[in-house]
Amino acid sequence: MNESRAEVLVDCQSLWKIFGDKTEAAIRAVSERGATKADVLQQFNCVVGVSGASLQVRRGEIFCIMGLSGSGKSTLIRMLNRLIDPSLGKVLVKGEDLSRLDTARLREMRARHIGMVFQSVALLPNRTVLENAGFGLEVQGVPRAERNAAARASLAKVGLSEWLDRYPSELSGGMQQRVGLARALTSDPEIILMDEPFSALDPLIRRQLQDEFRQLTKELGKSAVFITHDLDEAIRIGDRIAIMKDGAIIQTGTAEEIILNPADQYVADFVAGISRVHLVKAHSVMIPVAEFRHQHPDIALDTLPAAAPDADVAALIGQITEAAQGAVAVVDQGQAVGVITMRNLLLSLREAPAAQGGDHG
Amino acid sequence: MADGFVEGFDNTVDDALFWLSDNADFLFDGARVVLDGFYRLVLDGVGWPPAWTIALIGGALGWWLVGRGFGALAALGLGLCWATGLWPETMDTLALVISAMLITLALALPLGVLVGYTTGLDRLIEPVLDLVQTLPPYIYLLPAIALLGYGTATALVATVIVAMPPVIRLTALGIRQTPEAFRELGEASGVNGWQMFTKIRLPFALPSIMAGINQGLMMAFGMVVIAGIVGSGGLGKTIYDAIRTLDIAKSIDAAIAIVILTMIIDRITQGLVPPKEKA
Repeated sequence: MNESRAEVLVDCQSLWKIFGDKTEAAIRAVSERGATKADVLQQFNCVVGVSGASLQVRRGEIFCIMGLSGSGKSTLIRMLNRLIDPSLGKVLVKGEDLSRLDTARLREMRARHIGMVFQSVALLPNRTVLENAGFGLEVQGVPRAERNAAARASLAKVGLSEWLDRYPSELSGGMQQRVGLARALTSDPEIILMDEPFSALDPLIRRQLQDEFRQLTKELGKSAVFITHDLDEAIRIGDRIAIMKDGAIIQTGTAEEIILNPADQYVADFVAGISRVHLVKAHSVMIPVAEFRHQHPDIALDTLPAAAPDADVAALIGQITEAAQGAVAVVDQGQAVGVITMRNLLLSLREAPAAQGGDHG
Repeated sequence: MADGFVEGFDNTVDDALFWLSDNADFLFDGARVVLDGFYRLVLDGVGWPPAWTIALIGGALGWWLVGRGFGALAALGLGLCWATGLWPETMDTLALVISAMLITLALALPLGVLVGYTTGLDRLIEPVLDLVQTLPPYIYLLPAIALLGYGTATALVATVIVAMPPVIRLTALGIRQTPEAFRELGEASGVNGWQMFTKIRLPFALPSIMAGINQGLMMAFGMVVIAGIVGSGGLGKTIYDAIRTLDIAKSIDAAIAIVILTMIIDRITQGLVPPKEKA
């Protein structure tokens, strides 16, 4: 909530990436007469990787981009540090237009401000864990003692202090990915790009790493863009989620917003199986105080148990089943802002009508 | 008509060769002096210590890089070379291979890196390398002898020519096949071009480069024997002389010495390849 006021670190403005032989003509068609993805494919035989994607990542925020394979999410994240040049549109990182940076400035931006963690981990096999973790600083020309100290510190953060002198091949997949994260942290960037880092790991390790990652990122005050094809992962990790399909972002919002108001049938189908009890919060379930008074003039508000606006449905169920009157008051800063009844709670668990339609269609 | 064309072609080649040896004589004389001098230097290095020192060094290297058994065999083999009375010739040949290989590396490694980096250059250079590798090695000896005269310099040049293609090819291949993920890692970490080469591309290319050097060495060993015809000296000369005098026993002695030398160098350079995965 207060994040909306935080500084925007990464600002993507209607990014396009078009692959093919006639990209220039295709780009012109898009920018001049607003050609669509289908037009571009039909008229120029060019594949659109990303079409008109805009997003803002704020300081301290974990921003997930969720999409299936081929949705353009990997292309999109690579435009955030210009591993891929956008065909059209702008990327501003800390207010600087990436496309205007010369090679030296771009290198500096990547080295100091944007870290990246890869799905394939990409640990250099001929280097020890410590040397791998210090790679970013080594590239920047930081003296060995200093970079080793920094690498040791970040390896300690991911719980690998005992493994400094081992080689990557001696580590399990989960540990390797921890080294990948430590390597990104060693250079102390503000922004970390995570390109499906946990996809190849088995489910237990994955959940563990998801939680660790979220905790660590919040502790260190980093911002992250996290790519995933797994909505559960996006919900677990992300403060906000963008859902991509066919190169376009079709919805951006918190997990709660997306689940309660899916933008279209595609999103609705996606969120259909997601359990709401931990996602839906009191403030989106409650009814206004006046309405409650009207319905139940006999119940005094101050006799109800109080809940915070961001209490989730699971907590509310606990409270409401204990309460004699079958209702809970939502209290924000000593002020009752709403009331939740049994009926409200049950309604909140019912899936959005769109999703039901999807099940039958 | 076809005859006329072929004759014309032959004449042109001859003329060009004569023109070169007439007009660029100073150049080739200079080259010969430099090449001969370089060979002498290397020969002094390997020919000066007594035979048992070299045998011990060979054995120690074999032990260290390959294994205890191979170390013992290497020392024994070198002892055998000494016992056949062909020790000076063996060292001549070793010096020729080493000096040819040093020149080869100095030329082929940078060229291979360049080819690996430049898209399109490989399409230009591949046919040339194919040509060099498919032409019978004798072909290089004639023009070389015409320009550099009978002697070590000619043998050296011919050896360098046959040893270069595998080194260029496998160096280029190694440089080109850096895994995409690691190129991205480099880019995303903010490396400059030189760091990308030394810290990312080269470590991945090393096994391939070492395989190229190993193959180049094997080609070089093949060539130094053939180059006995043009005055390479060493075991090549021994074998060539033995063929002319039908001295079968001696030619077999020399052949054994060549095989021993080749095997030792082959296994030792293979042992130099860094273990790919330390698992």
